[in-house]
Amino acid sequence: METPVLTTAQPTEQCNICYKNISDEDTFCQNCGYPLKGTEQEQKDFRLQHDFRNIDLFHFNDKVRKAGNVFYYLSGIFAVSGAVFYFLKKDDPNAFAALITNLILAMVFLALGSYSRKKPLACIISGLCLYAIILVLDAIVDPISIVRGIFLKIIIIGLLIKGLKSAIEIEKIRKENNLS
Amino acid sequence: MEELVSSTIDKKACIQCGTLINSSSRFCPICGAKQILTNELSLESKWLLLKQAALFYGIYILLCSVSKFVSFFNTLFWDLVVEVVLWITAVTFFADKWTENKRLLVWRNFSWQKLAAYLAIAMTGSVVVHYTVGWLNIAIFSKEEHYYIFARGNFFYEIVVVLLTAVTPALFEEIAFRGYLLNILLKVADAPQAIYISAFLFAIIHLSFISLFWLIPFAIFIGYVRLKEDTLWYGIFFHFAFNLTACLFELL
Repeated sequence: METPVLTTAQPTEQCNICYKNISDEDTFCQNCGYPLKGTEQEQKDFRLQHDFRNIDLFHFNDKVRKAGNVFYYLSGIFAVSGAVFYFLKKDDPNAFAALITNLILAMVFLALGSYSRKKPLACIISGLCLYAIILVLDAIVDPISIVRGIFLKIIIIGLLIKGLKSAIEIEKIRKENNLS
Repeated sequence: MEELVSSTIDKKACIQCGTLINSSSRFCPICGAKQILTNELSLESKWLLLKQAALFYGIYILLCSVSKFVSFFNTLFWDLVVEVVLWITAVTFFADKWTENKRLLVWRNFSWQKLAAYLAIAMTGSVVVHYTVGWLNIAIFSKEEHYYIFARGNFFYEIVVVLLTAVTPALFEEIAFRGYLLNILLKVADAPQAIYISAFLFAIIHLSFISLFWLIPFAIFIGYVRLKEDTLWYGIFFHFAFNLTACLFELL
């Protein structure tokens, strides 16, 4: 008998914008600043401002999506090049170790790509550092490998850094909108 | 009296109207003014912190990969030089943020029970890693392998090996990754993400991609312990016990 009373009472205790709990004495929401007791015009303006933030969020998410696509691309590259190398040089004693390393890298980048929407910051920092290590190791084994495909490498790093900056913004907006 | 103190601690004055409000509030509930949260940094300062961390990690990547894969540096002398430079790097970056980092070196609520529990977990973990992925261990400890060749049967060298594989990595890797790096990441990301990132970066710096499977859980556990206990020492002890067990397998 008591439950209907409880459920009807609940919506009034939450902010209309960020759904955080509010108290009756508050004039403004303590989390997002929504004018709880403001005029209709003030509330409308706030909603408009809030929608602008969401357009920003859309823009940042797009950059993170591109960084995620870079990870999928890298994953494919490592899987394919690992397999091709293995079948071309089966007699090489290091061939199997190289295949395993390439497959592990492909799996790691695949995982980073698929989680990059959920936890953008963690995935992009991890992927960027892993990619940097791979470039350094390649350069040690074969110094000319730095120049090989340099434009592609610059594009990859540029997309990842842009994704990283957007990920920091997304974290901030998620925190403010109480989304995470 | 205690209640009064605790209730004033998590209150702050609104920057516009001066009303006492919750210190976690982003906006004043009375006048609507946006509050500056002391623990929240601006985008520029977060980016600057990340660039510093990138410099630190870049130095680590270069030193570790050169000492491991360039055959010229594959001697005991150069290994020691690289080790010492890594120690200096870790301590310098840690000291650069001394005012924030120094509290990590205080050992609050020291407890023998906890220490014994972490010792047990570390040794069990090390034994499990040794037997289940024993063949992987060769890849992981390949750098220390030639220390072992020196050490066999010579008491003085055995002590040096224990120092170089158990004591100094535990101390300086903890200062570098769970001290400096994790502290920076905590300002940029939320706690679970910060712990995960520091663990991943710690794992890949070992440059053995097969051992990622156990290095990441190992580092996440230490990161969690560091956050929970708010001190580096349990982590250092855990890391030391883990490495010592692995080291004893080789020496005995």
